[in-house]
Amino acid sequence: MLSVNAFSLSLDGKALIKDLSFEIASGQVLSIMGPSGIGKSSLLHFLSGSLSPNLITTGEAFLNNQALHTKSTQERKVGLLQQMPLLFPHMSIIENLLFAIPADIKKSARIDMAQDALEKLGIPDKANALPKELSGGQQARVALLRTLLSQPDYLLLDEPFSKLDPALRRDVRAFVLNEIRHANIPALLVTHDPEDAKAMEGDCLELGILISTLY
Amino acid sequence: MPSKNAKWITGIITLLLIFPIFIGLIGTLLPAFAYFPPLGEYNFSLAPWRSLFSQGEFYASVKLTLITGIAAPLLALWFALSLLAWGYQRPFFRKVEALLSPILAIPHAAIAIGLLFLLSPSGWLVRLFSPWLTGFDRPPNWITVQDPYGVSLILALVIKEMPYLLFVMLATMKSIKARESLQVGQALGYSRFTLWRKVLIPQLYPIIRLPIFIVIAFSLTVVDLALVIGPNTPSTLAVTLLRWFNDPDLSMRLMASAGAIALMLVIVVVLAGWELAHLSFSKLSRAERSNGKRSGLTDNLLRVGVALGLLCLLNAFVALALLPIWSLTRRWRFPDALPSQWTWDNIERATPLLMDLTVNTLTIALIATLMACVISLIMLETKRHSSKGSSLSKPHVFDWLIYVPILLPQIGFLFGLHVLLIYLNLNGDLCAIIALHLMYVLPYVYLTLKGPYLAYEEEYLLQANRLNHRPWRNYVLVKIAMLKPAIFTAFAIGFSVSIAQYLPTLIAGEGRYSTLTTEAVAQASSGDRKQVGSMAMLQAFFPIMVFWLAQFIPPRWTKWRLALDALFSKKNRRNNKCSV
Repeated sequence: MLSVNAFSLSLDGKALIKDLSFEIASGQVLSIMGPSGIGKSSLLHFLSGSLSPNLITTGEAFLNNQALHTKSTQERKVGLLQQMPLLFPHMSIIENLLFAIPADIKKSARIDMAQDALEKLGIPDKANALPKELSGGQQARVALLRTLLSQPDYLLLDEPFSKLDPALRRDVRAFVLNEIRHANIPALLVTHDPEDAKAMEGDCLELGILISTLY
Repeated sequence: MPSKNAKWITGIITLLLIFPIFIGLIGTLLPAFAYFPPLGEYNFSLAPWRSLFSQGEFYASVKLTLITGIAAPLLALWFALSLLAWGYQRPFFRKVEALLSPILAIPHAAIAIGLLFLLSPSGWLVRLFSPWLTGFDRPPNWITVQDPYGVSLILALVIKEMPYLLFVMLATMKSIKARESLQVGQALGYSRFTLWRKVLIPQLYPIIRLPIFIVIAFSLTVVDLALVIGPNTPSTLAVTLLRWFNDPDLSMRLMASAGAIALMLVIVVVLAGWELAHLSFSKLSRAERSNGKRSGLTDNLLRVGVALGLLCLLNAFVALALLPIWSLTRRWRFPDALPSQWTWDNIERATPLLMDLTVNTLTIALIATLMACVISLIMLETKRHSSKGSSLSKPHVFDWLIYVPILLPQIGFLFGLHVLLIYLNLNGDLCAIIALHLMYVLPYVYLTLKGPYLAYEEEYLLQANRLNHRPWRNYVLVKIAMLKPAIFTAFAIGFSVSIAQYLPTLIAGEGRYSTLTTEAVAQASSGDRKQVGSMAMLQAFFPIMVFWLAQFIPPRWTKWRLALDALFSKKNRRNNKCSV
């Protein structure tokens, strides 16, 4: 369970978010929507521990009742998926996946895990391909599986579907939701697109107008 | 790179860069006012200046320095602007751009030696037209190189500086929106050259002012090029000073130090004069820019510049082609256009010497350049780290100081620094040579890496750190690996700068360590064209090779690495099967 209590955010003395609280159960996705500049991405950065120093925040975050906001990024075991898949362009697909799998797992097991992920993606033949050889949709899926292979305790999604064309978007949304449920971790999605929020089949919080809607 | 002590690291490296320059300047300034304890001179006086001003050679040298040091950058700028105005955004110009990097990479001395082979009375140019046009069956009694007016030196300087300025200008084209301005201007009916004159050149100049200053300072103070192809009785001031500094009569050092300070003053005066001339010129031409004329007679100035610029480039390539020809020549009598007999003997004969020189040259260049790369990466990472939350473009004091070694004349402080090396018992030491090379390599490596490093999409590294909690490993495997093309290019530039160093090697090495450059310059006037050709050819070969590798390897690196991985994993699988 990921919970945020009384989160407030201000920039240059101007309050952007006030007293925001929510909870996300494992395997569930909470979607956050709202106009640009309202502080949606900053909320994600607060949870990932990479907030810009010129933003002032108050509030607390907990994961399974353990305080998150006092931990460094490295200690948090957070997965973050952004608009850009950020696959390392100089590594093959399997190297990208292996990069994320913890080093304390045996080498043969790590290779099996990466190969299973490739099977799941339906691209076992692309193990040695470079990211640029994959389509946009394939790259987005690899990026998600790479993040999940790092075995995060919770997942943050920052408009991960916005760069995909509409036909692909539907497939990738379903894939992401399925994988999050399978990993059984809480996830927070920030998006502009109501269709994204609808597809995640969870709660949706709309910032700026201070109402929350359940789709 | 996780750096917690950014300020300390920057401070220490800045000090390490500035300390030798400061000591060198003090070591030149004090003897210029007759304070030189090693010679028992403890009283300040103006005697060295009085001796300097009583030397007729000083005035002749200053005159020559001014002629060559102003004419060369002026012509190089004119030709570079003309070539850019003529070819920018035209498909064939890409090929001209590709030709620039070899000339940029090749040490000055090699180009000067090639020009010597081309332009001297017995050079290839006269041979080409003899005897059928000139009637010469023996070399004419002309002074075509090392001429008293420094024309051949100016030509050599232009050949080296024009590609550099062109390279710098091409890098700024995006920031002045050249393509868009040309489209708008041409739609308004302006001719290409007029547009450049009225719209683009006035925007371009302020951006390239610093590189122009570097070129002017270099032209006024160059030693190796002037030794090979410049006038010698009298010579330019930098060469005269070198002779005075090396005079067996040690008291000449005091006058030479005063001369070195005078040379620095000459640079300041010329730069100030140049800026003043630019201000007056832009004021005078302002009204002309908006007179609405779509073309003008002044455009012809750019057209002539194109022709002369291309001629200079052609000269450079023919000069370079002559280096291997001479090194493979057995018999080449005047006025034959090509050797009548070829041989490998020259190279074989020179091989033991060339091997020694190559080992020294490569050892110094590789160590100095690797160190410069590591220092630059540390400085840039600490700069990025310390600018978190503020603008990355905000210059740090190091960003200004890095230009000091390039702008200051070598002759102005290297001899002062030599005194410190003697004091520390480091004279003639390989480490001292590498340290001095590093001082000149570092600015070029840092400035080349700065743009790509600070523009790096940091999210990749952040994502790597979220996926895998080993920051140092991630820094190398992700950030450094992704910046490979920029690092390779910076390495190639640093390497070629080190290969070209003449005075730092000579002064710190005291002749105990010779490199291809010091030996080629020393033997340039020996008359043994076959041996000098071999040396200059090698001197040109290594930088070109490293430049080529820097372009060739990075795009293929991942492909090769994956192919090797696949090969080894196949082999391992086969071995495993056998063992089963």
